[in-house]
Amino acid sequence: MRQTLYLAARYLAFHRIKTAILITSITLILYLPVGLRVLVAQSSERLTARAMATPLIVGAKGSPLELVLNSLYFGSDVPEKMRYAESIRIADSGLALAIPMYTRFHSQGHPIVGTGFEYFRFRGLQVESGRQIAMLGECVLGSRVAATLGVGPGDSVVSSPENVFDLAGVYPLKMHVVGILAYSDSPDDDAIFVDLKTAWVIEGLGHGHQDLSAPEAASTVLSREGGKVTANASVVQYTEITPQNIDSFHFHGDLSGNPVTAVIAVPPDQKASAILQGRYQGEGEKAQIAHPVTVMDELLDTILTVQSFVVAGAIVVGAATLASAALVFMLSLRLRRREIETLFKIGGSRRAVGTVMVSEIVAVLLAGVILAAGLTFLTSQFGSVVIRALIRM
Amino acid sequence: MRHQGFTLLALTLVAIGCGAPEPGDAPAVAPATHDAKLSVYVVNYPLAYFAERIGGDLVDVDFPAPPDGDPAFWVPDADRVAAYQGADLILLNGAGYAGWVDRVTLPPSRLVNTSMSFKDRYVVSEDAVVHSHGPEGEHDHGDTAFTTWLDPTLAIEHAAAIRDAFAAARPEHEAVFAGGFESLKTDLLELDASLEQVTAGQAQTPVLGSHPVYQYLSRRYELNLRSVHFEPDEDPDAKGWQALDEILSEHPARWMLWEAEPLATTAEKLEGRGVASVVFDPCGNVPEEGDFLTVMQRNLSNLERVLAGP
Repeated sequence: MRQTLYLAARYLAFHRIKTAILITSITLILYLPVGLRVLVAQSSERLTARAMATPLIVGAKGSPLELVLNSLYFGSDVPEKMRYAESIRIADSGLALAIPMYTRFHSQGHPIVGTGFEYFRFRGLQVESGRQIAMLGECVLGSRVAATLGVGPGDSVVSSPENVFDLAGVYPLKMHVVGILAYSDSPDDDAIFVDLKTAWVIEGLGHGHQDLSAPEAASTVLSREGGKVTANASVVQYTEITPQNIDSFHFHGDLSGNPVTAVIAVPPDQKASAILQGRYQGEGEKAQIAHPVTVMDELLDTILTVQSFVVAGAIVVGAATLASAALVFMLSLRLRRREIETLFKIGGSRRAVGTVMVSEIVAVLLAGVILAAGLTFLTSQFGSVVIRALIRM
Repeated sequence: MRHQGFTLLALTLVAIGCGAPEPGDAPAVAPATHDAKLSVYVVNYPLAYFAERIGGDLVDVDFPAPPDGDPAFWVPDADRVAAYQGADLILLNGAGYAGWVDRVTLPPSRLVNTSMSFKDRYVVSEDAVVHSHGPEGEHDHGDTAFTTWLDPTLAIEHAAAIRDAFAAARPEHEAVFAGGFESLKTDLLELDASLEQVTAGQAQTPVLGSHPVYQYLSRRYELNLRSVHFEPDEDPDAKGWQALDEILSEHPARWMLWEAEPLATTAEKLEGRGVASVVFDPCGNVPEEGDFLTVMQRNLSNLERVLAGP
């Protein structure tokens, strides 16, 4: 038996290119559908986990998928805005903890997430260096943002204009970095967090400007009639909030009218959750309530449908490749007729010669299976990490 | 579906691009443990006093403003804000008091505006400066009077809001909080009755306030009050005296309410104009002696002394 296996091994080693091609083909045939399934299953689990950790999301009526993706991953188009009053309404109902979010702005490609203090506790985010945001105009960075931009506590980041041609639009705000969040292996690592009010300052809904009653502002004042002072647009507005000018920052009107993109609602129990969801079923309701798990399940169903097509295609290609491999073996046997005859002539039995041939085929198949298993294992361990790194490149 | 293309791209990217759930991805904020004292931070002394009276030993009340300033205009630093962030409840006065609250990060779920029930009864200054610039148009920076607690009936509403907030945070001690509230309410009603008695029949009497902080007091007791901007520890400048003389020409007041004892020179100059000085301490900060009620009793005595004068 040893001699038989030796002959098979020598044959495969001698025809190493053909052997390598066969092993590679078999490896890929097995690995592609299995590896894809592992990757999708793993990603689905992670996707569902973040959705499951977010009980309910309230937003303006529109695409629930957009609302959920934006609120969980800060990545999709900005959903329709709604009034902050909706957050107050949820909080006042006593049915849920309301965590408002405003995710409209960016800084150097990183999303600026305006939110409430509760968000950090809700997501279990800890400040690794520096401190938590305390004053208007401060921000804390996700760990990957800090690493990418090379900034830390004491540095600053500037909000990006939404449109370079919008010269009269939103002023860029220089924000002071006061803390870096610990790595959480989540989309929070890629975000810049500010207080909701700071996000409103970026939008221009709150601002600080020179005192219009001060002599140096005289040139900006168009008229003074009793208690009414009218100034022109040249009033100096601050683009950075400092201890010296923070007292001049103010908001106009009722804050409840300011915008948010979503409110994460965290009900204490199922009953409160059901009642809260029921409140958004009315026809005249301007807001929608999304159950992230349901929305993500629907999304995953779509992913699985796509995956099924890919797997079906891989199986068809695999079958064709296996047929080709079988043909290669059969043709190989024909080409090796003289070699086989020589084996018979030197005393080899039909069984021994057959065993050599079968051993070669089994060895190739076995090598393919082992390699495919190894690749599948690596995929389960590092697949999503590698692909995320490739996406960010 | 205008985002179908996006959706297919997004689902792939998101499916493989999302991270693992972090350990803290628990859906709800961890339930509070009720064995510790309720940590309560406040923005002025009256709220601290009410909270202590209502909560007793069940609450730990912190009022971190320095004792020598007006807490209404105090701005905490980041460390103090962090202390507020760690509280179970943050009691706000409302009515625009402590404007710094709008410029810091505090957890909204733990903020309690104790004057919300009488929001529609705030006194809004008629001489607020309105200005306009830029695209947002005309606006003012808010001149709502905020010494709401000087009307004891409103002080009771502050206290009721505190009682409700405490009961919601610690429902098992609701009866204790209700008891503390009732005791405080009795005291405040007594104060109200005394003030009403002392000020009865003074509706037509012109009165001056050294500072515009007595709006709720004058509204409650129908005082004919006008205010100047005199500081107790500063001698008013010529402009200030001129403004006072203009007011006196049409509003012949015989006494002026002061937040603290004015300088002797100021008091003399006022005497020269036939205006007596009466200290009515709003007690926004921790008093050097006594507590909120004793300060109010002293205010009452001061009023009695002046009104019983020749």
